[in-house]
Amino acid sequence: MITLTALRSFSVPVQAPCITPENFAGKSITEIKALPVTEGNCNVTLGDLFKLEQTPEETPNITLNGDLGKVKRVGQAMKSGEIVINGNIGMHTGEKMAGGKIVITGNAGGWTGSEMKKGTIEIHGDGGDYLASPYRGNDLGMKGGLITVDGNVGSDVGCHLKGGIIKIKGSAGRFLGYHMNDGVIYVEKDCDVRTGACMVGGKIVVGGTLEILPSFTIDSIKPKVKVDNITSVTGPFYVFLGDLSEHGTGKLFVNKSANSALKFYEKYL
Amino acid sequence: MTEILIKNGFVVDPRNKINCEKMDIAIKDNKIVKKINEKQAQIIDASGLTIMAGGVDIHSHIAGAEVNLGRIIRPEDHYKDPVRKTPITRSGTGYSIPSTFVTGYRYAEMGYTTVFNGSIASMKAKHAHEELNDIPLLDKGTFILTGDWWFVLENLAKNNIDECARLVAWLIHSARGYAIKVVNPGGLESWGFGRNVHSIDDQVPNFCITPREIMRGLIKVNKKLNMPHTIHLHTNNLGVPGNYQTTLDTMKALEDLSTDGKPVAHITHIQFACFKGENWRKFKSGAEDISKYINTHNHITLDMGQVTFSDTTTMTADGPFEFSLYEMGGHLKWVNSDVETESSGGIIPFEYKRNSPVNALQWSIGLELALLIKDPWKIFMTTDHPNGGPFYDYPKVLAWLYSKKAREATLKKCHKSARKKSLLPSINRELTLYEIAIMTRAGTAQALGLPNKGHLGVGADADVAIFNINPETLDIAQKFRTARRAFAHAVYTLKDGVIVTKDGQIVNSQIPGRTIWVDAQTKDPCRIDDDMKRKFKEYWTMEYENYPVTDHYIKVSDKVTVKASV
Amino acid sequence: MSKIINNVVCPICGCLCDDLEVTVENNEIVKMKNGCAVCDAKMVHGYKSEERILKPLIRKDGKLIPVSMDEAIKKAAQILADAKYPLLFGWSSTVGEAQRIGVELAEELGSALDNCCSVCHGPSVMATQEIGIPAATLGQTRHRADLIVYWACNPWASHPRHVERYTAFTSGRFESSEWKNYMQRLKAASGRKKMEMASKRIARVEPPIKPKVCFTGPPPQMLEQKPGRKMIVVDVRKTMTAEIADYFLQIEPNRDYEVIEALRCLVTDQEIDVDKVGGIPIDTLRDVADAMMNCEFGVIYFGLGMTQSLGRFRNIEIAIALARDLNRKTKFVISPMRGHFNVTGANNVFAWQTGYPFAIDFSQGYPQFNPGENTAVDLLKRGDNDATLIIAADPGAHFPSVIMQNMMKHPLITINPDMNAISRLGDVVFPAQWCGIEYAGTAYRMDTVPITLKKVVEAPPGVLTDEELLSRILKEVRAIKIKRGEPVGQTEITPTHPDTTKPSPTHKTPAKPKQTKKTKERLK
Repeated sequence: MITLTALRSFSVPVQAPCITPENFAGKSITEIKALPVTEGNCNVTLGDLFKLEQTPEETPNITLNGDLGKVKRVGQAMKSGEIVINGNIGMHTGEKMAGGKIVITGNAGGWTGSEMKKGTIEIHGDGGDYLASPYRGNDLGMKGGLITVDGNVGSDVGCHLKGGIIKIKGSAGRFLGYHMNDGVIYVEKDCDVRTGACMVGGKIVVGGTLEILPSFTIDSIKPKVKVDNITSVTGPFYVFLGDLSEHGTGKLFVNKSANSALKFYEKYL
Repeated sequence: MTEILIKNGFVVDPRNKINCEKMDIAIKDNKIVKKINEKQAQIIDASGLTIMAGGVDIHSHIAGAEVNLGRIIRPEDHYKDPVRKTPITRSGTGYSIPSTFVTGYRYAEMGYTTVFNGSIASMKAKHAHEELNDIPLLDKGTFILTGDWWFVLENLAKNNIDECARLVAWLIHSARGYAIKVVNPGGLESWGFGRNVHSIDDQVPNFCITPREIMRGLIKVNKKLNMPHTIHLHTNNLGVPGNYQTTLDTMKALEDLSTDGKPVAHITHIQFACFKGENWRKFKSGAEDISKYINTHNHITLDMGQVTFSDTTTMTADGPFEFSLYEMGGHLKWVNSDVETESSGGIIPFEYKRNSPVNALQWSIGLELALLIKDPWKIFMTTDHPNGGPFYDYPKVLAWLYSKKAREATLKKCHKSARKKSLLPSINRELTLYEIAIMTRAGTAQALGLPNKGHLGVGADADVAIFNINPETLDIAQKFRTARRAFAHAVYTLKDGVIVTKDGQIVNSQIPGRTIWVDAQTKDPCRIDDDMKRKFKEYWTMEYENYPVTDHYIKVSDKVTVKASV
Repeated sequence: MSKIINNVVCPICGCLCDDLEVTVENNEIVKMKNGCAVCDAKMVHGYKSEERILKPLIRKDGKLIPVSMDEAIKKAAQILADAKYPLLFGWSSTVGEAQRIGVELAEELGSALDNCCSVCHGPSVMATQEIGIPAATLGQTRHRADLIVYWACNPWASHPRHVERYTAFTSGRFESSEWKNYMQRLKAASGRKKMEMASKRIARVEPPIKPKVCFTGPPPQMLEQKPGRKMIVVDVRKTMTAEIADYFLQIEPNRDYEVIEALRCLVTDQEIDVDKVGGIPIDTLRDVADAMMNCEFGVIYFGLGMTQSLGRFRNIEIAIALARDLNRKTKFVISPMRGHFNVTGANNVFAWQTGYPFAIDFSQGYPQFNPGENTAVDLLKRGDNDATLIIAADPGAHFPSVIMQNMMKHPLITINPDMNAISRLGDVVFPAQWCGIEYAGTAYRMDTVPITLKKVVEAPPGVLTDEELLSRILKEVRAIKIKRGEPVGQTEITPTHPDTTKPSPTHKTPAKPKQTKKTKERLK
């Protein structure tokens, strides 16, 4: 295991896409120290910014400590292994990830798990905006894998989702699952407005309150819903279909008991 | 004063009928000369290398409002191709619509030195010229959308050829353009209300004119103005199955206008206008019919508009075509950009896939045409950048042309439609270096009416490309990958007698390149009287005085003055 | 000595009206005709402001002290070259020629580069990146549109001549305006106050169609009955623009997204389960949707009410989707009401040089783009940068205080013609010329039509143009970097061969006989 400890708190953004298990594998500490990163517009090395230590344990492969809120692109395109981040981390963590595991004990920045294909991301704090959403102008949403968040998440989470599961223990911001095609998003608490806007497929399960867009229509009431192979949530749930303006067939499961304001929909059943 | 002597290379110069002869090329300042003092000159040893004139691209969308809108809407496209700054070059981004500096660098790396911009609306011409100024290392010109200009429609409907010619001369001058561009004649005006024309004899709504009359009228105008290039034509029904018939009708309609055996029209990206079959399911190649016609007629030149299987961006002034493309489904973005009284436009990001029956066949249609048309002076190599693929796929296209082996290698990976519905697998022709030089420089320069480009004769511009191909030892058809690499990275590119790239790397980025434009001087200049100004005020939302491109917008001007016969 | 200059371009809003008639006396604008009240305020009065900065200033011991231009440029270059991550922000009120140098400076510094659009119509650009846009130039609307929708904008105040020049009050080739006669009378009056008063008076006496406010009221049947051009205004309050509309739809704040979603469902013949959306009954929305589907050429102009309210770029995305869907039934376009006169230009210049329209980060040696990451507000909120250069903008007056506090933690360089809020806060304060009044250059209208701004009067002595000033800062930055032994880019040079500037003499064009004649004469 390689442990990286920030030597100081960073005032300007640090881009460190080199911090991945693949990149570190088979390299000596000196070689790892010499890996290039940028601090603002300065080209520096990993050793300039972090104290590096090697310990014999095998997992996790990399541990990061310190104030890392401005460190971006950690674990970008990683394929295997495990990274543990003790504390907060900056944007684009685990972007284009294709396997392995990232554990974040604090909060994650925006675009965490953006365009990810496989693997697991565990966030014990809050997830940022655009969690598992693609880069600007793309529809390459998350394709597979699992993201769990213990806290809340920001807006535009799971845009263009094409597969995989996102589980959020807290609340979610607006435009959750925007334009999602497939996959599952489970929010245990409330959602802000416009949940599932423009969705064409997939499943969003909401345990708390939310507002339904006019372009969704009620389909049925179901006693319980399956989130993945191990989890199923008991309701009962209103099932909404949408987004009609996109001719979508996405399913929005809304906890009946938490949403008495939606009772009037029952007349259409 | 610089003097350069390129020694011992194999010169391929079709204009001067030189085919792989070992000879020296002498350069003084920015011209090719007969002889220079060898002792003072910088010597480039080109032994074992092929020397050609700098490439001349006849149709490529590199600048203008439309191109830039394409750039703006595709961050994901740039994201995968960033270009780092160096002490010599500026940074930027690439892929389907590269930023301006990168456009210049990448063309130069392939040995191209002159590029003509596909189309711009005159109202936004200043924008195009600002961008062209930021494209280094290339001479460039731009075609002006004229076919659906209200003044043209009105005057041609009344058969006022002379008046129309004067107006067009004014338009080309005020936009600092090089040639008349006609895109889907009549269709763009119809698209103003969401309609289109579907044959060359359809009436254009509100204007009492047909596409046939527009095209014929503008060819007459072009002749009266003595323009160096023919009209540059994007046919009706582009990209619609069965449109090869429209293309044939168009070519037949223009037959009698050629009186001296010279071409009267250049039909651009012909591949997109060569579809047979009633619908996409019955989609077939119309290349056989088109090439048969071209082989027996001399009044048309063509460029390929080859598809290269890449994630690219389609953009054209043909707004209705882009909308119908969007309606076929599967597209995330659609841009429409109409320009008042002049034009329309559209953009759609598009990925050409090998396993798509239509795209695979499109790929083979482009190659069929280039190979079935016997005379390389009639069809030129383009990808209609970025419509068929980005311009830096040119080496791939060349490989398909000079090597059957390369074609077979790609055919294997393509959908079977490319093999079954076209003649491509049965074509054995492999182009020689000589023919390639025609299709990429000599022929295009001739079609564009550029006497100093595309060849290495005395007096020509010192734009030279040197490739690592030894015609004596390298069989390009067999070792197509080696040759492809050579075409992708010229050993040397010289622009205006200055070495700008070496071994495929930019060594000098400070040659701005010239803007070539036509000043067609009519006997009576276009009268801009009060009546005309009033009309102008009605037609545009811009004052007449603020409309023309001023000299401020041309960094290095290269004016071609022609005397018109009106 | 008075001279009249015609066809002057107004350097204020995105309309870029280019028909102003300006009277200049003793190097001072004394009169302006044709322009709106806002234009009058700047062109005749505002630019002569007493708050004009005439000399560069540097903050010493908390006070701004006048210094020489050289000293200020050296100081600014030093600040920028020393910073690890500077931010260059503004650009929307300067010309394209200066923005070009700005990109080069940002690239040389490895800085963040953002323009004002990130706090106005940046969301419109982002929406375009997600979904495209069916757009058209303003003249296309004038000639063809028979349905004009102003959504969440108030052009009467923000773009005073938009309605008059491009939409409801103007006539085109295929569409006439019932309002044109009224407008001709109004044109006699120039000041905005007078215009407003007169229009109110006319509206009271014989309005062509009495505007109706729909909140819960009856459905807008007049949309079907009325011949010719129709104008619908959608807003959260009854604005001046709403007063002149044929129909006004007052929706609840922050409900644009839902209302447009409902319209999209109606346009695609979907049933809606709810009775009301955003405070508007579905039946009313159905009539609006019918009007949209049955027009010949429709257009939606949207403003900051949409881009900066809840949902931001998703609002625009859905509005574009509506316009796109409507193209299956008729012709429909949509266009943002860009604010500052050259904010569109900033997007365009940045895009052709870097590939990205705003929110650019050069710290990696190549451009990276991500609104939310590199946009000025987000970047300052996180406190990522360590020096700021503001040009041709006044974030001091418009940015949230938290963000200004973060900005003030680090050195600040400002380039603005007058002592506005941000200049007062600067550490190095440069004077600047008023572009479009004191120097010429290119600006892009809201529909990306480039128009050349004119120089009308001479600038005060010693005050440089933005272009010149930035070039000198760039040169100085390069000099500092060279001293440190760092690699730098090349300053653009003019053509190497003198004769390349001349027209190529050897073109074999019909003009050639003329030349041979001349040479023959010479030989004689």
